[in-house]
Order: sequence, then C-alpha cells, then structure tokens
Amino acid sequence: MAITDAGVMYGLLAVGAGLATGLAGIGAGVGEQGIGAAVVGVVAEEPGFLGKGLFLMLLPETLIIFGLAVSLILMFAWSPFAALL
Amino acid sequence: MLRPVEMSRVVVAGSKNVMESVVEKLHELNLMHIVNYTGGADYFEQGKTMGKGKEFSENLIKLRSIERYLDIKPKAPDVRFAESQIVSQMDDLLGRLAEEVTSTYERITAIEAEVKSKQDQINALRPLAAIDLPIELYSGYETLAVFVGTVESAVDADVAKVAPKSEVFTGSVKNTTVVAVFVPVEKASEVQAVLAEHGFAEISVPKLTGAPDVAIATLEAEIKRLESEKEPLQKKLKDLKKQYEDIILAADEYLSIQTQKTDAPLRFATSENAFVIDGYVPSADYDKLKSALESTTGGRIHVEKLSESEMEELVEKKGEDIPTKIENPGIVKPYELITRLFAIPEYKEFDPTLLIFVFFPIMFGMILGDVGYGIMIILVLMMLKKKFRTEGWTQLINIVMIASVWSIIFGLIFGEIFGPMGLWGKIFGQLPHEEILALEESGRFFGEGVFGPLGRVGPMGMFPLYRLATNAVLMLIGVSIFIGVLHCGIGSILGVKTELNYGEKKHAYFERLPVLIFQVAFALLLLGLVLGFMPLVYLMGLLVVVAIVMMVMGPEGVMGATHLPFYVSNLISYLRLLAIGLASVGVAFAANKLAFGVIMPMLSGGEHLTMVAYIVGVIVLLVVHFINLLLGILSPFMHPLRLHYVEMFTKFYSQHGGGVEYSPFGHVRRYLKV
Repeated sequence: MAITDAGVMYGLLAVGAGLATGLAGIGAGVGEQGIGAAVVGVVAEEPGFLGKGLFLMLLPETLIIFGLAVSLILMFAWSPFAALL
Repeated sequence: MLRPVEMSRVVVAGSKNVMESVVEKLHELNLMHIVNYTGGADYFEQGKTMGKGKEFSENLIKLRSIERYLDIKPKAPDVRFAESQIVSQMDDLLGRLAEEVTSTYERITAIEAEVKSKQDQINALRPLAAIDLPIELYSGYETLAVFVGTVESAVDADVAKVAPKSEVFTGSVKNTTVVAVFVPVEKASEVQAVLAEHGFAEISVPKLTGAPDVAIATLEAEIKRLESEKEPLQKKLKDLKKQYEDIILAADEYLSIQTQKTDAPLRFATSENAFVIDGYVPSADYDKLKSALESTTGGRIHVEKLSESEMEELVEKKGEDIPTKIENPGIVKPYELITRLFAIPEYKEFDPTLLIFVFFPIMFGMILGDVGYGIMIILVLMMLKKKFRTEGWTQLINIVMIASVWSIIFGLIFGEIFGPMGLWGKIFGQLPHEEILALEESGRFFGEGVFGPLGRVGPMGMFPLYRLATNAVLMLIGVSIFIGVLHCGIGSILGVKTELNYGEKKHAYFERLPVLIFQVAFALLLLGLVLGFMPLVYLMGLLVVVAIVMMVMGPEGVMGATHLPFYVSNLISYLRLLAIGLASVGVAFAANKLAFGVIMPMLSGGEHLTMVAYIVGVIVLLVVHFINLLLGILSPFMHPLRLHYVEMFTKFYSQHGGGVEYSPFGHVRRYLKV
C-alpha cells in the first residue's frame, strides 16, 4: 500500500519514533530490574561494592539512547522518506 | 595529580629496647604504611602486644558500651581536650559514670520487659471478661480438665455429647466467641478433638485472682506506675549524654590511639631481641622519617630504602600491594568521592580524579543548562552545607556546587532562566516577531532570545541557543558525540600509558591504541558524511579499516574485533548529554506554557490578569519547576557518572584489579588537642 499523503506519513514517522524510544525504555527497564535487585543485595552485604554495582546497573541504559537515536533520525532527518511519496 | 604519589619500600630494624619509642615516633609522624608480617622467615615471629595494651582494650570495650547505652555517635567536634585531662578523668568515666549509666539502662530494660509481660496478661484477660468467672477458678483442679480459648462456632451441644458431665461457659467479645469448658480429666482428649473441629485457639490464663475486670484495672495501674518510673530515668540518660558526650568521644579517641600503639608489634616481625618493620613511605618523606627515627633512638636504629628493582620483586614474588596515595589540590579533592566509589586505582594506574573534575561539571552543566536552576541549587546547597558537616556530605555538596556553576554558564549559552519562554525574554529581550518568521523560513532559526544590546552572537547568530529548535538539536547531537570522542580518547591514551607502565606492549599498541584510532576516525567519518566532504570520508574510512586490522592482530585475535559494536555504542551513549537536557527543557517549557499560556488567560477571561489567575499560575509554576528541579539534580548527576564509569573508565581503569589505599600508621586527632 503506497502512502500518498505527507501528513499521514509524518504521523506514522512520529508513531514510529515514539515506539522506538518507548520500547527501548521498557527493554532497558527489564534489564535493569534484575541487576538492580542483585546490586541492592550485594551492597547490603558489602557497601564498598556500590560504585561497581552502579556501573553494572547503568550498563543497559545505553539501549534507551539507541532507541532515542532512531527517534531523532526519524523526526529530524526524515527528508529521505519524503522521496518515497 | 594524574598519578598516585610515588612510594618507597622501607625497612626499619632495631633492638627491642627502642621499640616503644620507635612506635611512638612512627605514630606521631603518621607517614608509614605498615605491611603486616605474616610469618615465614626463620628466627622471626609475630610480635606481642606491648605494655598496658590489655588494660586499654578492656577500657575501650567498657567505654564503647557506655556509648551504646547513651546513644553517642561520632560527630563534628565542639570542644577539644588535652590528653592529660582525659587521663585524669578516665577513672571517673569508667567507674562512677559507667556504674550509673549501666544501672539506669538496666533498670529501663527491666521496666520495659515488665510492662511487656503485663501488657500480654491484659491481652489474655480481655476476652475472659466476657465470661466473668473469677480468674483463680480456671486452674488448680485434680479431677477436672479446663479448656479456655476462642472458637468459631458454638460448642455446647457437641461437648455434651462426648462428656455428659461437663460445664461450658460462653461469652463473646467483638465477633469472637470465647469459651471456658470444664470436663472430667478422663474425657479431656476426646473433648479436645471436638473443640479442634470448632477451630479452638487456646488462651493461656495468667495466674492471678479476682474478677478479670478488676485484674485488668490493677495491671493497667501498674503499667502506668512503671512508665512514670521510666520517664525520669530516660531523662537522666539524656542529661548524662549531654554532659559527657564530648569527653566520652575524646576518651574513645585516646584509648583507640593507645591500643593502636600497643597492638602495633602484632604487625612487626620480632626475634628474641630485635624487631623489623616493613612498610611504604611517600618517597619525598623518606628522609624526614629516617632522621626523625634516628634522632629519637640516638642512632640505635637501622632505616633502609629498598631499590626499585627489589620493590618490584616483592610485588611480583610475594604479591605485596604498593599502597596508592591519591593527592589532588583542594578544589579537585571532592571529586575523589567519585573515584573512590568506583575503586581505588592501583599504584601503577592513573588517578582519574582530575579528569572527572574537568568533565563531570561540564556534562552536568550541559544537561541542566539553566541559569535559574543553577542559582537555586547553589542557594539550597549553601543552606545544606551548614547542616551536613560530615566529610562525605561536604564532598558531595561541593561536587554539585561546582557543577551548578557550569549549569549557569550553559544556561547563558542556551538562553534559559527557568526554562525557555521563562524570564530570559523579560530580562535580556527577544528578536521581533517578523525576524523570527524570516529566520524560520530560511531554515536558520536557532532561537529567539538575545544577549540584551549585544543581540545574537556567534556564527549564523547561533547563541543564545534555543535547545528545542530543530537546528539546535542537530548541532547538539554533533557536539555531544565529539565530547564523547574527546572523553573516550583521553581514556584510551591513559589506557595505552597504563599498559606500558605494566610493560604490556602488545596490549598497549594492539588493544588500546586501535580503540582510540577507531573512535576518532569513526566520528570524523560521520562528520564528513554530514558535511558531504568526501575526501575526509575516504581517509577516515581507511583509518577505520586500519584500526580493525590492528585489533585483529592484537592479543585477542579475531575476537578483538568483536568489541567494535561496544565502541560504537560508547559514542552514541554520549547523546544522553543532549537527550536528558531536552527532557528537562521540555518539562520547564511545559510549565511556563501551562501557566502563562493556558491557566492565566483562562482564569482571567479578559485582557487583564486577575488576582486569582496570578496566584494559581504562580502555584503551578512553583510546583512543576520544583519537581523538574529535583529530577534536574538527580539525572544530570547520574548520567555523567555513568559516562565516566562505563565509557571512560573501561578504557584504562582497574584492568588489574583495585588498589590498596595508603593508610599510614597513626591517627588524625579530632577530639583531642594535638
């Protein structure tokens, strides 16, 4: 199905951008939940582990940034898509 | 600054009759990091506690128990005591005061236990009040078995079936049925089974006499009496705490110092007549240590510095850790907190504190970037600084304070005072409407604010930058990534140098170096693509390939190249500098729009703002900005922290496991006069 209306296309791009960031956020959250629980457990036993624990907990956060990068491309660098019309 | 302080391995040896004065002097100097003797050498064994060591540690235990009873915790010192003052009062503290505190505390505990048991009795008696039998009648029978408890349904009929000669008293309190069943002893087990079917839960009847109501009243009166006895005792403990807190803390410090000294020989190697102390001293202080020790013992001591190669050998063969002493100028010092939170660097590694000092506040500022928020944070922190005076808090407060200054600087660049559309336009002015439209038309719109009479400055009139404008977002994406390249690049350079310090040339040139080349070339390649400058693209493409080839030649072989996605994601990760900033700008923008654009016009209806509209608008502004400010402290702090820990530190830090911090034998006096 060909999209012929620029408004519709821009709307779909916006939905896609939202999904990219939102789903990436959920994914990162799922990843962090387990790590977070484990880190809290370790830090309760050994407070000196806090720094390394934070390091591990923050690792999956890059995922959101990936999603965000995709969103930014969709929202701001969308001229190539316009050629599809 | 970037490297830990240079250390020398020192051996101190002498005859046992000068040991005490040597320990005294070492403690006073507070310079030598002692390496514990772990045995293994012929003729030498671990030393024994000196002099009055046992007495000191016993006293310390006694004193600590007083501290616990009085709930005394370490705090910033108000008064300082001379050692002689402590010594003269020690007997009084550990004798009379200890006696008084212990007896008072024990009395309070006893009262609390008694109140608790009386409370339990009252709880047991409450249901029995519904039956109204004197309490003594529940017990003391030889031929009768008595069951007292709560049941879920009526039991009279069923009990009568198994034990015709029985008596059942029933009462009810608050939806529960209470029964007292009296049956002949020989029927007891059958009745018990019947009761169990009705969900019987036993109540243990306290050994008291009289009607339950009266008994409860008596118990309550007694509880009241006990409580009234407890109150003055607690007040007494509080008064004692107030009176003796400072001197107890000082005495604790005195005793800690004394036990530290008397226990020191446990860390030495001693023979029948001699002792040897191994340890590390900052190289610059070696001469001071040597001359001080020689003068106190009248030259009857041998102090020797081991050569570099001997030190190296000890580290490799015996697994000794050279202690790391990180030293930074005062303004950088607070950032050691962030380094320590991760790990103490090893002696041969770099101390990244200075780099954190440079990058962390800039990143914080770039994310928050608001003059209003920056000033608010500084004001709040100034108030907190007076309240939280422990070292950790002061460091944290200083970190955020320095970062907030950068937030104000970036606020000026971004043209934000409490968000865009906030106070900026009213203070510094804005471009006229037609000019904004013309700029938008031509695609050169970077914002509408001006720097007062200076107007807009920078190439294409970029500044003050309006962060939500498309052009600004695209530019900040680039800036963020190149900050990442710089940040990671410095990390990689330190990584190369660290590996060289450990003598791992292959790791340095084929594992660390290609990362640097790859990240720089990759970022420049992207820049070339964006600018459409093809020669740069080809050149950088070539460099990327070179870097990959170097990785494959490295110690890990082909596996080395599998880390590539990680290095790409490192750079993309720096987009958070832009992204989190956008989120906070977005909330601030929404707050201003909501208040000025929606609520105020809506409530006032006409042209002029009414009082109600004004008040509601200001409340909305305060609430939303307050929430945004709270988030605005937290995430600009956590995310740069991550960029340091994950993106930068992984390039050079703790490849060989964490270091041991330099902790010299001695004590920093807080409560005692020096």
